Amino acid sequence: MNLLLVLPALLLMGLVFVWPMLRYGWLSFHADSVLTGLNPVPNGGANWVRLLDDQRFWQDTLQTTRFAGVSVGLELLLALAIALLLDQRWRGRGMVRALALLPWALPTTMMALGWRWIFNTPYGPIERLTQMLGLGPLNLLSTPMWTWLVTVLADVWKTTPFIALLLLAGLQTIPEDLYSAFRLEGGRPVQALTSITLPLLMPYVLIALLFRGAQAFGVFDLIQVLTGGGPAGSTESVALYAYLNAMRFLDFGYSATAMLAGFLLLTLTMLILAMLLRLSGLIKPVQP
Amino acid sequence: MSRRLAPWISLLLVWSLLPMLWQLISSFSTAESLVDGSIPFLQRWTLVHYRELLESDPPFWRYTLNSATVSGLTTLITLALAIPAAYGLARVPQQLRRIVRWMTAAAALFPYVLLFLALLELARRFSLGNNLFALALPYAGLAMPLALLLLTSAFEALPKELEDAARLEGLGLWQRLRWVLVPLLAPASASTAILVFLFAWNEYPIALTWLSRDELLTLPVAMARIAGSSIYSIPYGAYAAATVLGSLPLLLLVLVCQRQIVSGLTNGAIKG
Repeated sequence: MNLLLVLPALLLMGLVFVWPMLRYGWLSFHADSVLTGLNPVPNGGANWVRLLDDQRFWQDTLQTTRFAGVSVGLELLLALAIALLLDQRWRGRGMVRALALLPWALPTTMMALGWRWIFNTPYGPIERLTQMLGLGPLNLLSTPMWTWLVTVLADVWKTTPFIALLLLAGLQTIPEDLYSAFRLEGGRPVQALTSITLPLLMPYVLIALLFRGAQAFGVFDLIQVLTGGGPAGSTESVALYAYLNAMRFLDFGYSATAMLAGFLLLTLTMLILAMLLRLSGLIKPVQP
Repeated sequence: MSRRLAPWISLLLVWSLLPMLWQLISSFSTAESLVDGSIPFLQRWTLVHYRELLESDPPFWRYTLNSATVSGLTTLITLALAIPAAYGLARVPQQLRRIVRWMTAAAALFPYVLLFLALLELARRFSLGNNLFALALPYAGLAMPLALLLLTSAFEALPKELEDAARLEGLGLWQRLRWVLVPLLAPASASTAILVFLFAWNEYPIALTWLSRDELLTLPVAMARIAGSSIYSIPYGAYAAATVLGSLPLLLLVLVCQRQIVSGLTNGAIKG
């Protein structure tokens, strides 16, 4: 009876999460493009062979990983600072917390549009400022290095509040007594941070790292609207490449292969990361 | 205490709000004043961008309505499936519950954009494209892991004696859910509902591939289409007005419901 109540939800989740992976597995061994009249025709491992040799896919994988690593790293640092700030007692804290959460709640495509205006050459506020300082046009959205930094900044702006909230929840589980005991022993505030706060916060940091890492690896909305993958493909992500394969090049077989490969690479990275963290003693085996 | 922190608090607010504020200012600026800094202050302002948006075809509020429809329906379906499921999960054997929990946690981590192709195939196969009601189905599936994680932990926190007492009073399963359990779960259900609503409101890749008719687009897709439609001109005033109008309902929702959102997010993190 109880199982019967669970079943509809599980079935829907299976349809949405599990079925696509099975379908991609099957599609990745078929040619399914305009060349086959959009009908799946078995082609052995041709998609996979092509993928292994696909410069663009590996370039995108590298770019996506770098984007995810740098964004999430910056987000964690900034979020820790914000969480420590919001953990203090001061008047108006609730209001500031609500306002600081706003960037997280906005649709990504909407703010991506906003960033395009803010980083516009030559009329956006940033470029106007640099021109006033005599630095000349920076071409923020047409110079690969700058554009990449802009995508990182947009991601950091949007998701830092979310991580800050997670870390804040973690901070609030640490009993106040620990700190007063530490003070009585003559410990300094900075030492309290490194010997009480950070170790006890570590599980929350790891949850944030795992969750945000996976989400950032799947970055799509932001890139598609802000840069379209450009300039010259320098900000293209794996998800965007897979999307273009399906919707622009109409090659569904290869798109499925790219997405499955992206998923497998992500899972592998996560497992290796978890193993390294466990070896380094940062996390202990989980006992739920 | 507060005085020492004041500079940092201001910095946080500037960082979070300035980009949005810039959009607000731009949306009220004439097209000329956006590109020409020498125009006198009093001649820089206009409402024309807003009027254009409201008079365009389809009018901009149409997208808001579409987003509200999909998001509302998604929230209803998700809760209708997740509440009974969470109730059931809190009562199945430990072993099974643990497996389901790991599966939902993995699904919640999953970058769901990678699912779009298979979901698009389903839409084509069953003619579900360009249908706002049908779009709520994959949305409910995608939001389910989060809803299950939040609601299961809420059900587990309820004392079992409570339900036993209701059972002894002769209340059937649905009556117990309706009159005893759901009211007690109201806070958890409310924060789940808001987070699911936010997810559906902001979702982009699935809506992008499922919807193509102009009058059916949701806000995120409409925004992206505005961005893509005019590469050669620079209607940034209109862009900015669109971002302001598009974010307004959401900003209100977040400010009003921030307590539920915060408790939902933090519970999800701690127990999930």
